[in-house]
Amino acid sequence: MQCSKCGNPKVIYKREQSGQLLCKECFIESIEKKAIKTIKKEKLLDKGDKVLVALSGGKDSVTTLEVLDSFRKRNIIDICAVTVDEGIANYRQDGVDIAIRHAQRLGIEHKVVSLKQEYGITLDEIMQRENHKGSCTYCGVFRRTIINKAAREMGATKIATGHNLDDEVQGIMMNYLEGNTDNLTKLGAKTESQAEEFTVKIKPLREIPEREIGLYVVAKDLEVHFDSCPYAMQSFRGEVSEVINQLSEKHPTIKYSTLRGYDKIKNILKEELKKDYAHGRCKRCGEPSSNELCKACSFLEELGL
Amino acid sequence: MPFILKYKQLNEVREIPDENYTIKDLLDDMELSAQTIVSKQNGELVIEDTVIEEGDEIQLVQIIYGG
Repeated sequence: MQCSKCGNPKVIYKREQSGQLLCKECFIESIEKKAIKTIKKEKLLDKGDKVLVALSGGKDSVTTLEVLDSFRKRNIIDICAVTVDEGIANYRQDGVDIAIRHAQRLGIEHKVVSLKQEYGITLDEIMQRENHKGSCTYCGVFRRTIINKAAREMGATKIATGHNLDDEVQGIMMNYLEGNTDNLTKLGAKTESQAEEFTVKIKPLREIPEREIGLYVVAKDLEVHFDSCPYAMQSFRGEVSEVINQLSEKHPTIKYSTLRGYDKIKNILKEELKKDYAHGRCKRCGEPSSNELCKACSFLEELGL
Repeated sequence: MPFILKYKQLNEVREIPDENYTIKDLLDDMELSAQTIVSKQNGELVIEDTVIEEGDEIQLVQIIYGG
């Protein structure tokens, strides 16, 4: 047995979908090349961009940072990072510390914003309330709002997230299964909002399977926070992910074909389902919103904050 | 024939049950999915088809947690 690319007998990975065998060096190179290929194909970066990395300290965001840093080293872009501390006991702090160390290692501008300091409540405290809407609902909305705000404050022209192939495919299937055609049109490598205040979001890792990103950080000896969010099991995403992974065991190309299929119909969906959003403002915080209150503020009002 | 198994807090000596006992067999015995784990044999990353030898240190690293 030897590496399909260079012949090295120390093979660390076998790609199920193609049968390709890779040694450590060729595997690392293949991941970085794949991300760079996505960046070029989807035109995710422009020279002079300041990219804000949403850095949790987990494998996906650390890999995103690592890949984008190669562009920074060549003076193509500048990078900054934000870490959101949701306030999840015995979980989040390790990731925050790791994110701080990566930012220091690379010498990039970095800020940590907590839900507590921003909204006066932690996710743990929200989950103790009766009739809450589920952890991921609040976490997703508050995190998105904080990241958007940080991007404006730090002068970022793009926001990079660590969404991998598995995340994207889960997103496609979840929205389809829920009949959420509105959200279905918002997925993709690059998402631009109609509101100018919302910075363009990019996903350099969207064509790389989650497992390969996990192996990449171990192979590269990158410090990451490997742990489970205590609320993850409560999510619909978790259930969808389980079904997709079961199917992939017999059909190893299914994640790629789901993504390819979605990419082919995305523009048609967008055109067919486009909505004219009212370019209003949230009366409470002033953020762009199609309703009187933005999602984050409507949650805060419900929580009595 | 013994080998050392390291996984999370676990650090124990186990017996190799059969000839050609692979890391994949070990994962199956531990009811762990190869999709969520990467394996090291004596500190070096290896694929799951690798046969465990006497005296090996096998370290399993969980890389996917679902959240």
